Amino acid sequence: MNAKITRRELAAAALGSAAALPAAPPQSAPEDLDTVAKEQVRKNAEELAKFDLPMSTEPAFQFKA
Amino acid sequence: MAELSDDIFFATIPELNTKLKEKVFSAADLVRAFAQRLEKLGPRYNALALPLTEQAIRRAHEVDKELKRERYRGPLQGIPYGAKDLLAWAGQPTTWGARPYAEQKFDYSATVLEKLNKTGAVLVGKLAMVELAGGGGYRSAAASMFGPGLNPWDRTRWSGGSSSGSASAVAAGLVPFAIGSETSGSILTPSAFCGVTGLRPTYGLVSRHGAMALSWTMDKLGPLCRSAEDCGLVLEVIAGGDSKDPGSAGKSFYYTPQYYRTPNQMRIGYAPVDFAEWAQPSARPAFEQALAGIRETGAQLAEIKLPDLPYGLLTGTIISAEGSAIFEPLITSGKVSQLADAKQIAGLKAGLEISAKDYLKAMRIRTLAQQKIRGLFADLDLLLTPSRFGPAPKASEPLDRRPGDQPKPKDPGLSSLIPAGNLAGLPALSLPCGFADGLPVAIQLVGPAFSENVLLAMGKEFQNRTDWHRKRPKLE
Repeated sequence: MNAKITRRELAAAALGSAAALPAAPPQSAPEDLDTVAKEQVRKNAEELAKFDLPMSTEPAFQFKA
Repeated sequence: MAELSDDIFFATIPELNTKLKEKVFSAADLVRAFAQRLEKLGPRYNALALPLTEQAIRRAHEVDKELKRERYRGPLQGIPYGAKDLLAWAGQPTTWGARPYAEQKFDYSATVLEKLNKTGAVLVGKLAMVELAGGGGYRSAAASMFGPGLNPWDRTRWSGGSSSGSASAVAAGLVPFAIGSETSGSILTPSAFCGVTGLRPTYGLVSRHGAMALSWTMDKLGPLCRSAEDCGLVLEVIAGGDSKDPGSAGKSFYYTPQYYRTPNQMRIGYAPVDFAEWAQPSARPAFEQALAGIRETGAQLAEIKLPDLPYGLLTGTIISAEGSAIFEPLITSGKVSQLADAKQIAGLKAGLEISAKDYLKAMRIRTLAQQKIRGLFADLDLLLTPSRFGPAPKASEPLDRRPGDQPKPKDPGLSSLIPAGNLAGLPALSLPCGFADGLPVAIQLVGPAFSENVLLAMGKEFQNRTDWHRKRPKLE
């Protein structure tokens, strides 16, 4: 490959390699994935609500390891 | 120009440094050879985001002039390297692996790259990554504008992500080391899948100025290298306080493992269920052998469990809430639909719906998690578990599918150590420990905050006793 390769040429090369792979299985329709993702947010909220914490437990805002 | 042997492409940093000092080859020879190799072979693994060959060779000539004047700047002087394409390099495209940012440029460089440049290390290319470091959650290895990260050990397998190009480039001998980032698993996973040694530093030890933000409270930058020792040498350069990073701990790091507890004085926590049940059957012999290897160092092993907390739920909520807030303009403008992975698009959009109440609840439970995990280290030096429980999955298969029909063990062991360690901001080291199905597998060690020298001391001892980190893929 030439040292002065353009980004477009590079992207074409990358896509060429990717095309050698078997096709990925079809993904769910975008609207289904939107629904699934939003449903996950709702379920996560339910799970978080199950935790009782003392008032003194502050969020890790000023996060320090 | 000196003709470089194939061994040079798989040499460690001290080995390369010795040859530079002995004038076996010049920095320009070395940089040119690596840069050309990266350009030639990088696209084969979808590892290369942007070659920087010409400017790298110019910089290497400057380094050679310094070396000629015996102006030594440390072991990285004249050593080529690559950087994940989420790090700004002034005047050059920084894509974050995502099509909407394909033309993005910054007029400044990331602090880590500036530090490496000052010490004489030479950036030969930007390396491919999962788009936006996978913050919305992704289902396909192809979640990148550069195509799926392919594994040098088998191109039908995934390289791991999100630091995909960083790991595959080191594994294929295209760069001696690379810089990656981890929010939750993005250094450890590709390091394990590609058979390289990866270090996730303590949160705040390495400045993130000039790096794409995915989660302000969880993002870390770290090295992927050929050995634990190399990780220590790179960390020494890139660590340090930085007023430009609000999360900076203001601490430096000096690689001095000899001054810390020796492996035979260490007490290491592990969970047998990780090795016997969580590990995929094909990987169990390698993991059992690694466990025996750690025991042979004289370290005392103690059975433990992680405190019972919903680590996955917490990381999911925190990364999603922070990531969607960071990328709100991308999401609300509709440009998010230009991303490659439909699950990631949906995840980023849904993240905007996480309530303040839920984010704060997750952050409060995180405080609890930090306290409890810190408590584990009251009588332990390190924790040990497989980095990932099996080898790299096929690049063509959905990544959210559990391998085979392996039942989920009832005992969680340390199976959540990646999200737990990241929530607590703890350092981790991934060490190649063998092969399963012809692909590398690795163990991870996790220590208390700022215990990198302890991790590296054990890593170095393990690598003195094994040669897994020296194995090379046969490049197709």
